[in-house]
Amino acid sequence: MNSNVISLEDVLKRRGIPLADVVDAQEYKIPEAKESTQRLMEVYYNLKATADMEVPYWYNRTWWENEGDVTIVRRAKAMAACLSHITPTILPYEKLVMNKTKNVRGAFPFPWVCASFFNAQAEALMNEVDAPAESEADSVSVVGNGGGNVTQSYGSVISIAKKFGMRKEEIPVLVKTSRPWDGCSIEDLSAKYAALTPGFDQEQRIMDAVICMFDSWAIPQGREVINYYMPLEYGFDRIIELCEEKIAEVMGEAGDDGILGMSRGYYYVAMKEITQGLSAWCENYAKQAGYLASIETDAALRANYQKIAEVMANVAHKKPASFWEAIQMTLCCHLGVVNEDPQSGLSIGRLGQILQPYYEKDIADGVMDDEQIIELLELYRIKISCIECFASAGVSGGVLSGNTFNNLSLGGQSYDGLTAVTPLEYLIVEAGMRNKTPQPTLSVLYDEKTPEDFLMKAASCTKLGLGYPAWMNNQTGMNFMLRHYGPEGMDLHDARAWCLGGCLESAPGCFLPLHYNGKVTMIPGGASPTCGTGVHFIGLPKVLELVLTNGQDKRTGKQVYPAHNRTFASYEEMVDQWEKYVELTTDVVNKVNNVQMDIWRTKNPPIVNSLLKPDCFAKGRDIGMMGSRYNATINFESCGTITYINSLASIKKNVYDEKTFSLEEMADALVHNFGFETAYQTGVFSPDVRTGTPDSPKFEKIFAACVNAPKYGNADAYVDSILKDYHYYLYEMLPNYKSYYGKPLYLCQISVSTHGPQGFVTLATADGRLAGTTYSDGSLSAAAGSDKNGIYAIFESATVYDHSMHQNAQMNLKLHPTAIRGLNGTRKLLDIVRAYMRKGGFHVQFNIVDSNELRQAQAKPEAYRDLMVRVAGFTQYWCEIGKPIQDEVIYRTEYDA
Amino acid sequence: MAVKGHLFDIQSFSVHDGPGCRTSVFLTGCPLQCAWCANPESWVVSKHLMYAENLCKWDKGCRACRDACPSGSIRFDGDGRHRLTRETCLDCRTFDCVASCPNSVLKQCVKDYTVDELVSILRRDFNNWGPDGGVTFTGGDPLVQHGFLLEVLERCRVLQIHTAIETSACVSRDIFLGVMPYVDFAFIDVKHMDRDRHREGTGVANDLILSNIAALRASDWGGRLVLRQPTIGGFNDDEANALQVIDFMNTHGLYEINLLTFHPLGETKWNQLGKDYAYTSGRGNVAPGALERLQQLYLKHNIACYIGENTPF
Repeated sequence: MNSNVISLEDVLKRRGIPLADVVDAQEYKIPEAKESTQRLMEVYYNLKATADMEVPYWYNRTWWENEGDVTIVRRAKAMAACLSHITPTILPYEKLVMNKTKNVRGAFPFPWVCASFFNAQAEALMNEVDAPAESEADSVSVVGNGGGNVTQSYGSVISIAKKFGMRKEEIPVLVKTSRPWDGCSIEDLSAKYAALTPGFDQEQRIMDAVICMFDSWAIPQGREVINYYMPLEYGFDRIIELCEEKIAEVMGEAGDDGILGMSRGYYYVAMKEITQGLSAWCENYAKQAGYLASIETDAALRANYQKIAEVMANVAHKKPASFWEAIQMTLCCHLGVVNEDPQSGLSIGRLGQILQPYYEKDIADGVMDDEQIIELLELYRIKISCIECFASAGVSGGVLSGNTFNNLSLGGQSYDGLTAVTPLEYLIVEAGMRNKTPQPTLSVLYDEKTPEDFLMKAASCTKLGLGYPAWMNNQTGMNFMLRHYGPEGMDLHDARAWCLGGCLESAPGCFLPLHYNGKVTMIPGGASPTCGTGVHFIGLPKVLELVLTNGQDKRTGKQVYPAHNRTFASYEEMVDQWEKYVELTTDVVNKVNNVQMDIWRTKNPPIVNSLLKPDCFAKGRDIGMMGSRYNATINFESCGTITYINSLASIKKNVYDEKTFSLEEMADALVHNFGFETAYQTGVFSPDVRTGTPDSPKFEKIFAACVNAPKYGNADAYVDSILKDYHYYLYEMLPNYKSYYGKPLYLCQISVSTHGPQGFVTLATADGRLAGTTYSDGSLSAAAGSDKNGIYAIFESATVYDHSMHQNAQMNLKLHPTAIRGLNGTRKLLDIVRAYMRKGGFHVQFNIVDSNELRQAQAKPEAYRDLMVRVAGFTQYWCEIGKPIQDEVIYRTEYDA
Repeated sequence: MAVKGHLFDIQSFSVHDGPGCRTSVFLTGCPLQCAWCANPESWVVSKHLMYAENLCKWDKGCRACRDACPSGSIRFDGDGRHRLTRETCLDCRTFDCVASCPNSVLKQCVKDYTVDELVSILRRDFNNWGPDGGVTFTGGDPLVQHGFLLEVLERCRVLQIHTAIETSACVSRDIFLGVMPYVDFAFIDVKHMDRDRHREGTGVANDLILSNIAALRASDWGGRLVLRQPTIGGFNDDEANALQVIDFMNTHGLYEINLLTFHPLGETKWNQLGKDYAYTSGRGNVAPGALERLQQLYLKHNIACYIGENTPF
């Protein structure tokens, strides 16, 4: 460096000019990821999502061998057989090991949950096996597209659900394994009994019209927070002993109600089986690592294998005695749970608080230093990113965009009501900055007690444009917990243990006393079953469309709802009809859902998860039998909120207040897509592309009136009051419907990716949105391009109701990188987060990206393999999400400075 | 009747125009007419129309605005393109054409606010700024509408809202020194130290500007003053000018300057207003490294020089 160069900092110091923020004074140079991480990420980028039949084979075999046994025991034996037979795969440079399957980025079908798809396809699949392999050139061309997704068959690989590749030789196993489940899978059995619900025909019409996105049984677990307490506190060997003690204590005791007494005994027998399975699974990895060490010639790699062998042998039996063992133990349990059902959104919870005692001891003892801990945390990110969900194409593509939402929460409050932030959490953020992977996504539980330097650290991570961490309001979350779970006994202590399940599903938790390092630490964890699996994604704008078309879906010509035959003299009458349709929808879908989920919980009860969730083990009851501490978790999910609200505002203004057009004229314009060609005709689903037709001039005026009608997000009371009314309506309406746990439904507002497919089936809407294009995303994001008064105005509009009324609220903001560039950019990003949190905003997340870069990435995906964006409640690789959602993200309003 | 302010924009989460996160209020009217101006719509004080040709669907047969225009100022004759007769359009009071357009092609520039209306927005935004932020009055030059500005500033003082201004200081001494006591933080543009060159670039000489700055420094004003220079290639990016600025700053005890990089983003606005823009095809661009060299020159003279958004506030 030239010694004559004078630094600005020196002059500032001499002049006594304060630098508001030293964190950014020298833009923090993020160290490179560790060598092990870099090597394994290189492998990850080249891995394809792979399905294989090892797990289903062992499940099937063991399940049928135990025909006639008590269900929970039979299922535990089948699950234990799966886990203990998974071929252990260990890659060079791995330190944390274990995968869902023998493949690193692997998954498998669950024919016992859903077999119809494979049985229906059996012949076609077998034909594909017999077909000659494509040329090598053809097979190579596919590999570049879609990142790790196998969207079409190539070579000796067959694409399943447009997501997974399965080797041809496994297809006959798939076909054979699926056959016995014909008629007795969860899907088939629940269909049989759901058909007996009153209103079943109505429910089917609703599903066909895609007013409701999908059935709950398709992913019956997840959208919840796991609990790692049991294995951390006891270790597998001790849990097995505890099971034996419990069996000796309760077997043969009737209990108080004369029904549940003996089932406790069966529960503990099942828990013993599954714990043995988990233990054997770890043992297999210990053996494999030992074997690899014995044949490895490189000294460093050999030492690494030896270490893995030691860790896995300990984890297989004892309670963890180091940070390494503890994080490995959590990984083992996590994979165990995601292997027992098609599953997404099994959240990790507040890992940095759970593992802090182990971190503290290792650092104090000099066993590890921060850099070594960061390396494990970097590698942990790869492990979690490899968790794939095998569900139907509609679920994995349409809903999940290929992500499985293993959310990790930071911050919040401790058991004592102080900040819960731990030193380890700083390292978790650091690892997320060094190793940029979609999972685990990070969420900060923002509380006024959270240390400022931690908030700045998290903001500097958000600033990188990875989409994480997202920001949650801890006080709003706690208020929601107390409000919603109060009737089940939620107190202030447990309320402090909440965090995010899935992408945004606020989930109840509790603290439990971990004995480690000579002291007791209250560690948080999940304390409920799934906080989803209710009425899944109701397309609110679609229901409004059917109000205007007298219940008939003009896209398909089918009569979906009973014709109301009303003419709406007032705006209120029209909204009343919308409410009637929504209530009818909730009623019939909820009933079918209850049957589906009851079949699931009785026939296919959670096993690993029922070991882990408090207070299942204390009560001797699995999750399906309401063993968890909190059970009022089943929700109603909305989609397209702002599209719906803006549509109402347009109709209210143009039809009822100013009477510029009649409701019939409005409906006519919507059915005719305002005279534009539809996206179905043009194939272009971007909201800003319009192709005129000879009809266009006829609808010119009404289209302009709709586009220019008041829009949410501008601090305009005209439309914001409609939003407020809507929230109070759902808040009061939903508890009238009871879940399969006999508890009231409540509102969940995550669109995930369903605003794509549900927008697809919806005609033009009165806000000026054209047919087939996506709904607005989230629940509080402004419709793209409609927010003209800036971010503060959106915040004003978004907080016209108390966010703690519902499970969540979702706000996506897209900032241009220049908006937060500069010496104080991080501070200013934090300022804006804090501004929203102070107003009670529940959640905000950011895409900090240039739309032009996204357009380039769309054109040349191969050049942008590692580009990530925030979609709804999660981060995903750009190249692994569908085009309609890509278009939507590009089109979101971008704020620059 | 209460005085009304003519504003052409209110921008929230404004982060490069003063300390912290701010709301920037853009007032119309400017004593200067810089050839590179990024906000030429600020030159006309009253309401007027902007037309974005690239968004217009005239070629798809859209004629919605023509039918809405009460003065017949919009025609689609000849090749069918949208044609605006600005002379008659400028008298418009209704701007019905804007609401008639489904494509956001037409925009009404300038809206009128009473002091109460603007203050209620500032009070709302006060919740969002954080401890360092506040309001920045910019434009145009906010001192053109000094009567309105002063009323709003007085209200801000009562509300304890932090105030900043971005001005050319090219107004009478009385007005300037009457307003500044209500301002906590000021950017004053010094576009060139040479009187003639200043007139070439901006249409006016710099005497009033420099003497106002001197008078402000001589007063008991306790605010923070940062000079600003939009750095235009071939106009004021030379060292000779910088040395004169340094000399001026030293004479008057000033030690902070913010060099802004020229960008031709004003071009679309010039076109939408039906004006020709002179800074096309690279004219005005500053050579790579030139700003950094100027910064070093200032730093050597113990003046804190910030480039673009890299400011310590």
